[in-house]
Amino acid sequence: MFYIQESTCISSQSTFLNKINLLEYQVPEGNKFSVKEPSYEDIPEKILRRMGKAVRLGVGAAMPLIAGSGNPDGIIIGTANGGMEDCIKFLNQIIEYKEGLLTPTNFVQSTANAVAGQVGMLLKNNGYNITHVHRGHSFENAMLDAAMHLAQYPDARLLLGAVDEISAYNYNIDLLAGWYKTTAINPAEIYKSDKPGSYPGEGSAMFIVDNKKQQGSVRIDALKTITSNDPQLVRHRFHEFITLNNLQNDPPGLYLSGENGDSRMMHFYEACETQIEKVPVARFKHISGEFATASAIGLWLSAEILRSQEVPVHMWKHQQPNPMATQRHPLHKILIYNNHKALQHSFMLCSIDL
Amino acid sequence: MVTGLGIISAIGNSVNENREALINGFCGISTLENFPSRFSGVLPCGEIKISTEELKQKLAATQPGVTRTDLLCLHAFRQAIEDAGLTTEEIESPDTAFINGNTVGGMCLTDELYHDANKHEQGSEYLGSYDCSSVTLSIQAQYKMQGPASTINTACSSSANAIMFGARLIQNGFAKRAIVGGVDSLAKFTLNGFNSLHILSPALCKPFDKDRQGLNLGEGAAFLILEKEEDAAGKNIHARLSGYSNTNDAYHPSSLSPAGDGPYLAMKIALESAGLLPQEIDFINTHGTGTENNDEVESKAMIRIFEIIPTFSSTKSNIGHTLGAAGAIEAVYSILNLKHQEIYPSLNFNEPQADTGLVPVREYKQVHLKHIMSNSFGFGGNCSSLIFSKV
Repeated sequence: MFYIQESTCISSQSTFLNKINLLEYQVPEGNKFSVKEPSYEDIPEKILRRMGKAVRLGVGAAMPLIAGSGNPDGIIIGTANGGMEDCIKFLNQIIEYKEGLLTPTNFVQSTANAVAGQVGMLLKNNGYNITHVHRGHSFENAMLDAAMHLAQYPDARLLLGAVDEISAYNYNIDLLAGWYKTTAINPAEIYKSDKPGSYPGEGSAMFIVDNKKQQGSVRIDALKTITSNDPQLVRHRFHEFITLNNLQNDPPGLYLSGENGDSRMMHFYEACETQIEKVPVARFKHISGEFATASAIGLWLSAEILRSQEVPVHMWKHQQPNPMATQRHPLHKILIYNNHKALQHSFMLCSIDL
Repeated sequence: MVTGLGIISAIGNSVNENREALINGFCGISTLENFPSRFSGVLPCGEIKISTEELKQKLAATQPGVTRTDLLCLHAFRQAIEDAGLTTEEIESPDTAFINGNTVGGMCLTDELYHDANKHEQGSEYLGSYDCSSVTLSIQAQYKMQGPASTINTACSSSANAIMFGARLIQNGFAKRAIVGGVDSLAKFTLNGFNSLHILSPALCKPFDKDRQGLNLGEGAAFLILEKEEDAAGKNIHARLSGYSNTNDAYHPSSLSPAGDGPYLAMKIALESAGLLPQEIDFINTHGTGTENNDEVESKAMIRIFEIIPTFSSTKSNIGHTLGAAGAIEAVYSILNLKHQEIYPSLNFNEPQADTGLVPVREYKQVHLKHIMSNSFGFGGNCSSLIFSKV
């Protein structure tokens, strides 16, 4: 489909720029995987002050990439909620001031396209600019969009990314809907839970993508999305994906599972995992937490793992059949399966030539 | 190829009703009635005068969690698939994409959202209905759709981008057909948002008039069925989507640059993608919101690109600005122009702007039309133009 040349990530762990340290794991406080926000040196202070968190995370992860690689030909962002904090701040003003005279800042920042818009504005970028907001498939649609753009304009280079925030408000809404656990995060126990609910997360991952194969670039080989609450259908589609990409004969070196400790989703993850029995399995939701565009963090981690040829110990689920498999043989290919709210599924295949 | 159309707006619940109203220069903008607000009975809005309850009954969609946005979407969606004669099998096929432009989602339920976002007691039935994608996901579920699906939010150009994305999915072999369009319903959220920016007109909007005072918000939904040329053979083809573009003005979060770079590039690239020269465009359905900023900048961008300005109108003078639905609704209107070889009067215009002097079409005319451009520009600098051609 295309190549990832550079990437950045803001998450609950040390994943940003020169502070990347995936080997050491820090346990987040409480029941939220809140991000460690950097100092955002690439955003002018006056503009930074007006930004809500989601916009800050998105623009903050995007700008250093641009500083390195120049103005892209297009900006493609996936976000389920955009600036939810600003959105509800404005809503609360409406109710509390009984629709009186309100300031527009929160309203303008609340639109989901504010991240792509702000990046475009800061870069004076007149190119292709779009925001996909299809909940658990926001980032996947952004990827598909990028692939189509690069098929049409083979020399183009794009900024592709995803961002979502835990605002007090979307947390409250999803909590009321039964999506979250309220106990403190214990990393050793997250995936052992037999109870419904996961731990909320937030973050941003940004990528510079194009069609140029270079030393160290990570190729996106395939992407598939499925919308279904039927594990049998997901299993069937997963099998199709494996066959289509010849993964029986040329298996990936790692399977990255999006499991998140929500007991209601395990049968989906099991249905897929049992079909690639000989592949070592790792997990990432103890880094990202659960949110609609967490798959972008999964992809960022996969790119890091492929480049560094190192899987952080805390990410392993099991390494069968050979615990040392990936250390003895180069890791060429990673298969990611993610599932959002037991409805929106995605399979991604990425690889590197060493 | 466009093989199906569906629409609901302040001037009608069907394609035919909308066309009749456009021919007669009917304005569907009236004061707000459907929900309590400080603006009720005062502010002119392009409101659909059917209550949410009535819509639920009409569409037999009485399950919990259904919002007005869902209902308007469902109404237009059903019309479009019926018009194209899509079978159940085709709708469920992994080859059928569904792309929906939307900005408000379930936020039309301002008071419920306020409660669910702030209180720690029992949630309402709408917990899963607030985000924009909930509208798309509910239709995906109801129609057992298995193809590619997305919700796009590029503010006021959302559904123009939904149309473009669907067309590209077909071109790139990710779908055989695409159901594309958008929806938005009136909400306290957007009313207060646009009011805080001081761009709501206290009177009927007057696109391109020198004394315009701002826009009127509206609501509605429209969907188009796009099919490949070979699959559309034998069907009633309404028009061909021949060009599109997506650019960014990269100037300000909520207003356009003085020279209109984004709009200019949107029109230019759409022409290039259609392989057309500016003089081949016979008519423009402008973005034409009626705000000071938009109409001035859009006029200047049109002057930059067209040596002789084509006949143009703003159908927002009939239905208000329907935000995420606007691109799709105006696409339907452009297709009606082409199909019936007629243009509809732009309303409420008296005097041109001093520096541009552009005058929109003011009466119904039957004319020869081959190519029509439809513009949609949004907050965040998101600009798109679509070109439809006669088949």
